[in-house]
This record gives sequence, structure tokens and C-alpha cells, in this order.
Amino acid sequence: MGVTNQTKNPAPVVRAQYLTFLTAGEEYAVSLMKVREIIEYDTVTTVPHTPAWMSGVTNLRGKVIPVVDLAIKFGLPPSRITKFSCVIIVEAMFQGESLTMGVLADSVSQVLDLSADEIEKTPPFGTRVRTEYLLGMGALGKKFCLILDIDKVLSAEEMLAVTESVATEEAGAEASEARNRSGKRAHFEAGA
Amino acid sequence: MDLADFDRGAVLASFLVESEEGLDLMEQALVQMESNPSDPELLHTIFRVAHSIKGNATSLELTELAGFAHVIEDLLDVFREQHVLPGGDVISLLLKAVDELRAMVAAAQSGPVELNSRQQGLRKEIAKEVEKRSKRVVRTNGTQEEAGSGAKLDSLPTSNHRTLRADVDKLDHMLNLTGEIVIAQGRLRQMIEKLSGEQGRTIVEMHREAERLYMDLQSEVMSIRMVPVGPLFRQFVRSVRDLAKTHGKIARLEVVGGDVEVDTTVLEQLKDPLVHLIRNAVDHGLEKPEIRESRGKNACGVIRLSAAHSGGNIVVTLQDDGAGFDRARILEKARSIGLISEKEELREQDVYGLVFQAGFSTAESVTDLSGRGVGLDVVRRNIDNLRGTVEITSAAGKGSTIAIRLPLTLAIIEGFSVKVGTEVFIVPLEHVTECTELPAAERNDESSGILSLRGDPLPYVRLRRAFGLSGETPKKENIVVVKINEFHAGIAVDELLGGMQTVVKPLGRAFRRVQGIAGSTVLGDGRVGLILDVPSLLRGVMQTGLPAQA
Repeated sequence: MGVTNQTKNPAPVVRAQYLTFLTAGEEYAVSLMKVREIIEYDTVTTVPHTPAWMSGVTNLRGKVIPVVDLAIKFGLPPSRITKFSCVIIVEAMFQGESLTMGVLADSVSQVLDLSADEIEKTPPFGTRVRTEYLLGMGALGKKFCLILDIDKVLSAEEMLAVTESVATEEAGAEASEARNRSGKRAHFEAGA
Repeated sequence: MDLADFDRGAVLASFLVESEEGLDLMEQALVQMESNPSDPELLHTIFRVAHSIKGNATSLELTELAGFAHVIEDLLDVFREQHVLPGGDVISLLLKAVDELRAMVAAAQSGPVELNSRQQGLRKEIAKEVEKRSKRVVRTNGTQEEAGSGAKLDSLPTSNHRTLRADVDKLDHMLNLTGEIVIAQGRLRQMIEKLSGEQGRTIVEMHREAERLYMDLQSEVMSIRMVPVGPLFRQFVRSVRDLAKTHGKIARLEVVGGDVEVDTTVLEQLKDPLVHLIRNAVDHGLEKPEIRESRGKNACGVIRLSAAHSGGNIVVTLQDDGAGFDRARILEKARSIGLISEKEELREQDVYGLVFQAGFSTAESVTDLSGRGVGLDVVRRNIDNLRGTVEITSAAGKGSTIAIRLPLTLAIIEGFSVKVGTEVFIVPLEHVTECTELPAAERNDESSGILSLRGDPLPYVRLRRAFGLSGETPKKENIVVVKINEFHAGIAVDELLGGMQTVVKPLGRAFRRVQGIAGSTVLGDGRVGLILDVPSLLRGVMQTGLPAQA
């Protein structure tokens, strides 16, 4: 399964293409410019001490890349893995640099061609997703699909919040390491 | 310091390489300046090259060469002061000077350089240019009388080795590719081993042969990346001298084992910790000359930087003959900032370990060298990142020794793979001392506990619980016994899978410092396995504390 990033007629500036996909029963879209490829879901290895929405890491032809589960990120139950499950490989901006990461999707749907005036502004409430993750909404028949700002999804602040809590724990660990030692010695005696 | 104190031949060799590179850079910058006369950074680049050639030539007592570089520097300085870039004429003149410098540097290989008449002419021309553009008076022959007094040089035997300089990025890429091949080979082997019949056996046999060739290739690629530590170590010879001088001390650095080789990436990342440790040794370790003499030591302090191989590791040792770490003061400081409690008594080792904590410094004043309380914690972090360990031993009044133990390469490790539930983890083999079955009495669901290993208590951590992994603890569990410094501990896992060569892949920027995880690797079946960071895993467990037992 593979979608290449070729635009046949790049001339109209205002039109852009979006890949839509299904996650937790809802249709989302992401700019095709950000999408590098789509791969079948393969085992994702959980990384301990990371937020729940960070599914883990997977092997993309020898490269280890992070995979996120948007369902959890958006406060829904975790995605169920089926034979349609796939990972959309995107190039997101993370701390000012491009980062290859995977987005778990229940299935991919289609490529939408939208002009700027076909994209509605996100209303201040009513969407399941926090508006800061959205670029807008695209009409999809009678329904709307939420256009994601993929750069914001893996925001530095949220990742930092995670890594920092680990870091402070660790700093605490170092300090208490010395403290624990005497206690532990007594403990050894009790154990022996 | 006398040049005879250290290996002049080696310094000369690195001077030759550096100057060659510098001159190439200077030439490029000059040419670029001609076509793009608006980038002041180019002028700085050129200036830096001339300056470092001058400095290095002076320290090698290549007086004439240094003098020549000096006028070039003067000329560039004039432009820097006047904030203008040189025009075409001057650029041509400087390019000519680059050519002559190249010839002189090459000639320096076989002995002291004397300017020939063309070079002297060029030097005068440059000097004239300086005088024309500023009020400066340039001595054109001032250094000549010193030329004869230089130390006698032995001519270097020229090497017949054919060499090629290569981009480290390319080497990294090559190493990555060989790593990929190892993984792909492993996956292929798992597949074809299932084949049956005569043909299957033949395929497996041929595959084994190919694997041997790939292993050879990989070790060749690894060996290309190995560089001697000498050039890095020798850079510190000068800085120790200068640092000591600014502090009213006398010191020299001895380099031992400069030809020990280590992966170029490891060496790169070793530089910062060494800078910190050497500064610390000069600033805190060594005493002032008068104090040293009153203590019956030579006024000149000696810092010995040595490297040696030990198993699959390199051990870098920094030894000084200074005052040693002040145990009482470290304890006092640690108590005052709350690292340890008032009554707590620590083992000798643990006391010195405290200096690697963030914010720790016993220096009373903030000096330009150290004393800001930053530095040694950075050392620990850098060494942790290199998967190394650091140990301090110290004797009051006699000096201290800091031993850094590092793996020879970061790219591939010998791993021991274990399984918890469906997940595979790799324990670096260097930490593993033995494996044993978890005694029946310890079968529970606690996150940690103590078991008796041949009568000695061994604290262990249950990986499933430490990492919050799903699944039931199986009936039969195994213990991997690990050793960090002198500390033994156990890691309880479901299954032991065995040793394997592991290609280390960083987890990437999205995960910066995950506690207990050092990196990842692609397993034989294509899945990603995580590599345990044993020291950090154990630190994490100690923080949450072992279960109370009374």
C-alpha cells in the first residue's frame, strides 16, 4: 500500500490536497504535503514512561520512528487494531526540525482536493478535538472532516512535560539514591 | 614548558594536518570573499586560520614560519579593525601567501623552516601593505635571530601509507547500512531455516557463508571509524599549561597510551567531559607551587591523562598529584544543600560520587575555570550518554584519580535479549554477570524484592512492573544478574532469549531521556526491541524505594 506525494497540476495556488482517514469513528484530514507514505500496521513496541497516546515505536525500513494514537490524544478509547489498521507516515515539525512519525489510523479513505474557500474555520466549540490541533474543517458531503495541524499534535510542550517529569524524577532519584543507601543496607540484613 | 616534555613528532604531525585543513579553508574563504565581498565572517575565518598557524608554529619553534603567519595576521587585523573587507589586490596577495604557507608547512616536516628569497619578498610586501593601511610598524626581520636557537629536530620518516580523508557522515551512513544488512540477514535466516529438504539446507549453508562475509565487512567498517585518542589528548597539553599559569600554578600534562583507538563518535563526545575534568584538576586539585613545596612535592604539578583497553571497553584515566578531593568539605557541602542528611555516613566511593550531582561545587569563589557548580554533573551526564561509568579514587594530599570506562563503539553492542510478555528487551552484555531462575519463594507480583544468591542478598527489580507492562507474571521467572560498578542487582524477566549482536538505534528526538531505556534496535523478526539502560533503570527503582519489609 503506498501513496506517493505527486501533485499533477500544482498551478492553482489556493487548492491543496488532503488525505482523509478514519480514527475512532471520525474522519480526519491531513495535508498531503505532510504525508510521506502509508504502511500497513506492524507491531508497535511500547516505550515505558511515555504518555498513553504515544503508542510506541515501529520499524520503518530500519529506521525507528514514533507512532501516536490520536484517539487517545483526543480523549477517546485507544484504537483497536484490525486488518485495515495502518500507519500514516508524516513529516511533522518538532522543535523547529522535521521529524518522521507515524499516525495510527483505522483506515485511510481518500484524497480530497479543497480550495481555500472550501475550508471552514473551526467553531470555538463543538468539535471533539481541541481547536489548537485543527487547521479547519473540510466539507465531506453532508459531513465535515477535521483538518489536523499535524505539527501541533506532537507539540514540544507536551513531549517536554513528559520527558521533564521523568527528568525531575531522575534528579530526585539521584539525590535519594544516596539517601536510600543506608536504609537499604538495613533492609539487606532483614532480607538475609 | 619544554617541548621535549611531550611527543614533538606527534604534535608536529597534527600541526601538519590541521594547517593543511586550515589553509584549504582559508583559500576557499578568500576566493569566496572575492565573489561575495559582504560577509565579514569570511574575514574572521581567514584570521583564525592565520592565527592558529602562527600559534602552533610558535609552540613548535618554527620561528620563521610563525613570523610569516604573523604579518598575515597583522594585515587581516587591520581590516578587522577598520571593518572593511580586502579588495582584489590584497586577496591575490593573501592567496599567494597561502601557497607559500603550504610550502612552508610541508617543509616543516623535515626540519626548521627558513624563508627563501621569494618568501621574504612576499613577507615584506605584506608588511608594506599593513603600513600603508595603518600606522603600524611591522618588524620584517625581528624574529630571524631567534631562528637558530630552536630545538634540534629529527626529520620525520615519511610514511608510505596511501590514505584518503573521508567525511564522518559517510562513515556513519556506511555503518548504518552494514547494521541494516545484519538485521536483514537475521530476518532472512529465520525464514530460510524453516525450509526443508536438500535445497533448504543448501540455501541455509550459502546464507551462512554470505553472513560471514558481511561480518567481515562490518568489522572493516568499524575499524575505519577507530581513531587514536592521542591528538585529542595532546590538545590539552597546551591548555593545562595556560590554565595553570593564569592561576599562578605550574603544571604539565603527561599523555599515556595516545595510540589507543576508539570510535570517532565516542572520542568526539569524550572531549567535553575531559575539558571539565582537566579544568577541575587544575583549579581544585593542584596546589600553588609554594604550598606544593612546603608539602615536599615538586613545584610543578603533574596531570596524567592515559588511555588503555580493558575488555570491550576503553578506560580513560585522569590522575593528578594535587591535594585530592576534600572528603570533609564534600560531605559538608552535600549536607548544606540537602543531598544527604546530617547523620548519614557514606562509603568512600559514594562521597566522591556526590561531586557529580547537579549544583555541586566546593570551590569558594567563582573562577573563570570552575566553581560555578556546573561542570561535573555535565561530565556524568555525558558519560551516561556514552553508556560509560566514572569512578573517583582520592587520597588526601596525594592526589586523585578519575577513571572513565567507555564502550569502544556506540553503534553496535553485545546484547543479551530477554522477553517480558510479548516485548523483547536487550540488556547490554557488559552489565550481565549471570542468569538464574527466580526461586519459588519469590514468585509474587511485587515490583521488587530480595533474593538470596549463594547466600548473599541480591535486590532485584521485576521489569514487568517497573515498566508497567501488561500481562500476567508467568509461573517460572528468570533473573538476569547485572553489575554496575561494584553494585549487584537482579532484573526479573519472563524468558531468557540469549546473546546477540545488537545494532543500536537512538529512539529519536521525540523521546529524549526515557528512564531505563538506552535506545532501540530492530530485532530479527523486524520488530523494534528496546535496549535497557541498566544504571538508570536501577536508579529509578531506588527512587521509588524497595518494598518495606519488617
